[in-house]
Amino acid sequence: MKTISRKAALSGLALIGTSALVLTGCASAPEDDGGNEGEAIDFLPCMVSDEGGFDDKSFNQLGFEGMVQAADELGVEYNEVESNAETDYAPNLTNLVDQGCDVIVTVGFALAEAASESAGANPDVNYISIDDTVDTDFDGETDHENIKPLVYDTAQAAFLGGYAAAATSQTGVVGTFGGQPFPTVTIFMDGFKQGVEYYNEVNGTSVSVLGWDGENGSFTGGFAAGTEAQTIAQGLIDQNADVILPVGGPIYQSAAAAIRDSDRDIALIGVDADVYETDPSVGDLLLTSIRKGMDVSVYEAVLAAGEGDFSNEAYVGTLENGGVSLAEFHDWESKVPAGLWDELESLKEQIISGEVTVESYLAG
Amino acid sequence: MSTETTAPATAGSAPEKTVITSWKAPIALGVFALLAVVLFVFTPRPADTSTFRLSTPSDVIQLPEIVLPTHATGIVMTVLLVALSAYSAWLVWQKRRVPLWLIVVFAVLFLIAFLAWAGAGASIPIYGLLIGTVSLSVPLIFGALGGVISERVGVVNIAIEGQLLAGAFASAVIASITGNPYVGLIGAAVAGVLVSFVLAAFAIKYFVDQIIVGVVLNVLVIGLTSFLFSQVLTENTELLNRPPRFEQIAIPILSEIPVIGPMLFRQSIIVYAMYVAVFLVWFGLFHTRWGLRLRAVGEHPQAADTVGIKVTTLRFWNVSLAGAIAGFGGAYFTLGSVGAFNKEMTAGMGFIALAAVIFGRWDPIRATLAALLFGFASNIQNVLGIIGSPVPSEFMLMVPYVVTIFAVAGLVGVSRPPAANGTPYIKS
Repeated sequence: MKTISRKAALSGLALIGTSALVLTGCASAPEDDGGNEGEAIDFLPCMVSDEGGFDDKSFNQLGFEGMVQAADELGVEYNEVESNAETDYAPNLTNLVDQGCDVIVTVGFALAEAASESAGANPDVNYISIDDTVDTDFDGETDHENIKPLVYDTAQAAFLGGYAAAATSQTGVVGTFGGQPFPTVTIFMDGFKQGVEYYNEVNGTSVSVLGWDGENGSFTGGFAAGTEAQTIAQGLIDQNADVILPVGGPIYQSAAAAIRDSDRDIALIGVDADVYETDPSVGDLLLTSIRKGMDVSVYEAVLAAGEGDFSNEAYVGTLENGGVSLAEFHDWESKVPAGLWDELESLKEQIISGEVTVESYLAG
Repeated sequence: MSTETTAPATAGSAPEKTVITSWKAPIALGVFALLAVVLFVFTPRPADTSTFRLSTPSDVIQLPEIVLPTHATGIVMTVLLVALSAYSAWLVWQKRRVPLWLIVVFAVLFLIAFLAWAGAGASIPIYGLLIGTVSLSVPLIFGALGGVISERVGVVNIAIEGQLLAGAFASAVIASITGNPYVGLIGAAVAGVLVSFVLAAFAIKYFVDQIIVGVVLNVLVIGLTSFLFSQVLTENTELLNRPPRFEQIAIPILSEIPVIGPMLFRQSIIVYAMYVAVFLVWFGLFHTRWGLRLRAVGEHPQAADTVGIKVTTLRFWNVSLAGAIAGFGGAYFTLGSVGAFNKEMTAGMGFIALAAVIFGRWDPIRATLAALLFGFASNIQNVLGIIGSPVPSEFMLMVPYVVTIFAVAGLVGVSRPPAANGTPYIKS
């Protein structure tokens, strides 16, 4: 009896959760998709978030800001839907198509499958896929002609971050951890590790990287800043790490708490946005941030679509086109070795020219 | 015919049953011993030694690091493990019970061997492993205590997750506004009580299915806090979501006990409150009039009613108390740990606490141990992820849950809930 009712409870939970989410998806009022013959610009950009939501201080938020900026410039309305679970993606996309969206931005590689399906079913609607090339059949090409992928080779910027971390570290140990072992997370860790190794190679040092060995590493199992993330950060500190790179939405907050508890001079590296600006409360701990310029690229892509020249050419953010970059040192300016920024600048040039190669699944 | 078949069945079922249940331990130990042989003896690691660090850098008494030869340790431990499982099999064959100490010793030996194997070439901070275990278990233990009280009095408490989350949210907001974390703690308890009021009202007054109410409450609290977080907290982070955090208070002398000192006595005030809460709930449940009445109502409300105990009132207030305890635990997420509220930051801890209640057979001490086991399993995964274990990350993430399932399904055996748990008392 007991077990049955508990099981029932769990499936009930799933059911209620799902239906609540579907209802949320339906919440926005449908808009009349009249004919497109109006003189004024008739363009409706839309966006679907992944489970992080648009206030994640991270990539959903950045993408959203890009779209809002583009919509403002075009003088049009926009529409956005947050997903709360994986099961939301497809219904949310269908919902937006029904509302007459002209271009739909899907944020996050988790939406790839749903985007591919929706794009195949609605060839008149254009799609912009952030973080994924939408190649669900693995033939090396984007599934449908109405999808523009925006991907970011963050390994390049993370390489610079790793180099800076290795140069700054006093203990000779730097650490990283992620939310979940997704390719968009591990690409940061990959670049970071290579950057540290490159520093060792050039300077003859032996700074070690904890939390990622190229295949396996430490992950919190989710993207919430909780005790789990703090414990992992604490574990890195126990291993003497004095530069920590947490990859995944708000989990840097837990790392910041662990650093403050330790009373040691430990640096934090932010990801996606320049965290110094998005969250000043951890500003004093931030060595730098590995930026992923989603706001700019989404802005440009949506603007182009609004002006009628949507292209399905894939955009790959690199150091060269500024799609990924390393933020300034801000408060840590005085604590990093002198001349580090110039070294990073020249390293950046070398990466752009191909003199130094950064491996990643997007490189090549 | 019918008498013939029933008679041997009843006669034979009792001994047969005991044999089946007691073989479980030797088989489980045997499987682990086999795993040990495969991993520790025949899967050599690149490095030769494993280092265990026992003292934190700030300890007064510094214990030396223990350096073990990896492969030799693995072989010795494996031999011991095989011997222990053989001994347990022999015991069962002799129709004797496998004592608890044997399982505990087996688990400890297996752990040492596993850590030595997985952490070869690295140095494993044992103190970090233990401190992290307590940190990860705190909300689980509070949640489990809330669950124990509520279920002992006869109301199934699925809403632990909601109570924790409400507590985390309220404590962050209230502590931020007042600038005083202690007020935040009270706010957390009140928020937990409010969630419990809904559960109590629907379950006790209106006889609604308690599991459904609990599930709905969880969804409601997740939705409500996420909504307020997005709409209100993120707009006014400075004012509403930057609570002061509790400092860690080291208890003099006790915190210098090697190994366990930093784990138990270098913690924040919430953790000290947890020790007190575990003791009080245990003492209260089994050694006071309140506890006797509470358990009576949970086992046989009609009998309790006939001797003059007010069943519904007692249930209502104890479910509220359970909510207060769980809500208080929720404050740990914000005031004790991260220092800011986050969407869905409890991340399913309430459900693990529920598992701890059942695993702990509705006993506060056992439920606490169960929560600690889960915390330990999570933290092993963290520590091994950091030092770079040979086990894939995805698999490591699964470990705490696998341990919980094994513990609940394999080790608990028959766990009997309070008889009237989940059934509303309708006075006739």
